[in-house]
Amino acid sequence: MTTLTSAVRASTAGDGAAVKRAGRVRSDSSRAMPAYYWMVWPAVIAFAAFHTIPVLVGIFFSFTNYAGYGEWDFVGISNYLNLFQDDRVLKAYGFSFLFAIVATILTNAISLAIAMGLNAKIKARNFWRGVYFVPYVLAILVIGYVFQFLFSNSLPKILSGIPLFRDNILTNPDWAWTAIVGLAVWQACAFSIIIYLSGLQTIPAELYEAASLDGASPWRQFSSITFPLIGAFFTINVVLSLKGFLQVFDPIVALTNGGPGTATESVTLLIFKGGFSGGEFAYQTANAVVFFIVITIVSLVQFRFLQRREADF
Amino acid sequence: MTIRHRTTARAVAVLATAGIAITLGGCASSPGNGVTTLSFFQFKGEALSDFADIIADFEAENPDIRVVQNQVADSETAIRTLLVKDKAPDVITLNANGNFGKLAQAGVFYDFSDEPVLQTINPAVQEILAQLGNKEGEVNSLGYVNNANGVIYNREIFAEQGLEVPETWDEFLAVIDALETAGIAPFYGTLADAWTGMPSWNALGAYPTQNGFFDELRAEGDTVGPDSSVSFEKDFADAMAQQGELFSHMQEGYRGRTYDDGNAAFANGEAAMLLQGIWALSPIKAINPDIDAAIFPYPDGDSPDDRLLVSGVDVTVTMARNTPHREEALRFIDYLFDKGVIEKFAASQNMVPSVVGAQLSDDPALQSIKPFFDDGKITGFIDHQVPGAIPLTAIVQQFLFDGDADAALATLDSEWRKVAARTIPVTGDGK
Repeated sequence: MTTLTSAVRASTAGDGAAVKRAGRVRSDSSRAMPAYYWMVWPAVIAFAAFHTIPVLVGIFFSFTNYAGYGEWDFVGISNYLNLFQDDRVLKAYGFSFLFAIVATILTNAISLAIAMGLNAKIKARNFWRGVYFVPYVLAILVIGYVFQFLFSNSLPKILSGIPLFRDNILTNPDWAWTAIVGLAVWQACAFSIIIYLSGLQTIPAELYEAASLDGASPWRQFSSITFPLIGAFFTINVVLSLKGFLQVFDPIVALTNGGPGTATESVTLLIFKGGFSGGEFAYQTANAVVFFIVITIVSLVQFRFLQRREADF
Repeated sequence: MTIRHRTTARAVAVLATAGIAITLGGCASSPGNGVTTLSFFQFKGEALSDFADIIADFEAENPDIRVVQNQVADSETAIRTLLVKDKAPDVITLNANGNFGKLAQAGVFYDFSDEPVLQTINPAVQEILAQLGNKEGEVNSLGYVNNANGVIYNREIFAEQGLEVPETWDEFLAVIDALETAGIAPFYGTLADAWTGMPSWNALGAYPTQNGFFDELRAEGDTVGPDSSVSFEKDFADAMAQQGELFSHMQEGYRGRTYDDGNAAFANGEAAMLLQGIWALSPIKAINPDIDAAIFPYPDGDSPDDRLLVSGVDVTVTMARNTPHREEALRFIDYLFDKGVIEKFAASQNMVPSVVGAQLSDDPALQSIKPFFDDGKITGFIDHQVPGAIPLTAIVQQFLFDGDADAALATLDSEWRKVAARTIPVTGDGK
């Protein structure tokens, strides 16, 4: 849900310059109609109550030694100082970034290719579009357990010639993460394809017509027309995927639960495990605050960097 | 837009908001007529109908008390929430683990020190609970039924091969050797489920921790290491080596097998032993009801008399410290600990009852561990003593994968130091 709304928000922001502003509706009074306020207020209240206030409370508790229940004291910034000395935390950040970068590259490369295929004049086009959207509709935990069965029961039999798969890739400390990438990319592609498809449909056909008259090769058409013109969509997709993959949680819970050992422990999984079952509520809340700041910075940097490369027509 | 319209719109909106508020609010319960209602917090899903039967019998004998059983799925979170909200249930059953010990230490439960029912309970069981934690000088819960963690073995295979239950480490290795020579898999490893490495770690680690190891470890705090008075690196090398030795005899591909795979394989006679506790017998018997399985404790070096059976208090009974229904709640608890009641419950749950003199069912597995309970030769799960913030299961699984005991022990010590350093005790004057 949040990804959807932010995607829409981001896409309007990215295309803002290209869209001609609609004429403003004249109204008699300078104030908006009360109905609009009634539309906005429930959302604002719900958002504040279920999102903003918990975040502020969380930040508050990150300066205490609260265990999730009972009494607590203020401990200053010692939770934050301890975080930077905890090799388990640093390892989790390393895993999350490696995972997110690999998964983002794969998701965008694959979904752009599929989107172009689905945008071409292929047979049963709407059917295929529907098929590729199915993973987005399914709950990730449900598919996760299906994939887990696949990796630990089916693949060892089907690919019994390859030792990596025969011994259940999920229990291999060095390669288990690739199985998680596989599941995450498979699911994330569905949404990225939709965004790319909508991007591809904004490109006027005349441009390709003119390019083919000038004798441009298909690759030239892609690199000089298609890719620059869906730049805004590329930005959204990359930023959203990276943000989403940095916060990876469900696929890991379903496939390895952070194991074997702590080989596939992402930051969010560590926060959840350490904070709830580990009883270090305040310490992991501090971790969550740091992670929030890290993701915000990464997303802002990406936007600045990628938006500079977008083309308008 | 007229004023009238505007007020209607506003009224509708107010009504909508109020509707949400009402749905969010809970519903209150109403007191009965002269009948006291006890809320009974019950965590064990598979014991739901057993407790329902007990309650029905109790209510028939005590018409002035009504007991409402609340079986909750995520009991630890639920009880914490209830305690924070000051809505502690009257009678509580919980699994006695490390978190339970912390709650007991916080002094939220009743002190049973002077209750006569305490005298009927096996002192070794109460000692396990005391190890987990009580408020100082108090007894905050009563052990109800206990599990046992040892080596499950197939008595039929042992008889066919002429093998006896091993009582020393060397005998244990000889048994493994004999089985392998006969072409029988001694064990079935299931490391795809990380926790299945823990039962053997808990059992073998019980021996080096008998003399107040964890008390000293806690006292050392952030100085734990190879040079401190106690540490994992210093005291656990043998136990880890033994565990590594056992896992070197696992079947091929044991890293990718799950707990369920192991139970199925053992039930079908594919392996002679399983490094699991008594809880695995229910799923095993679901697959093969005729299996003749029993349990023996892990040997301790070469002295048969020092063997200890690791046992956890699977269900412990307690009550809220300040319940307004103290007398009624105690009556219900006394009834729960009645010999006939607890015997029936323990037999149905395949557990060992805590009441001294209560009979165990004639299941061979339960009968095989009975002597250890009778002699008080039981000890608790040591992983309950390790703070949850230390990824113990993951570290042990990692060790069983790569066999690097030194690295695993160093990690345990370093995690212990880090957690000790960042755990700032609550003084209570923050609020």
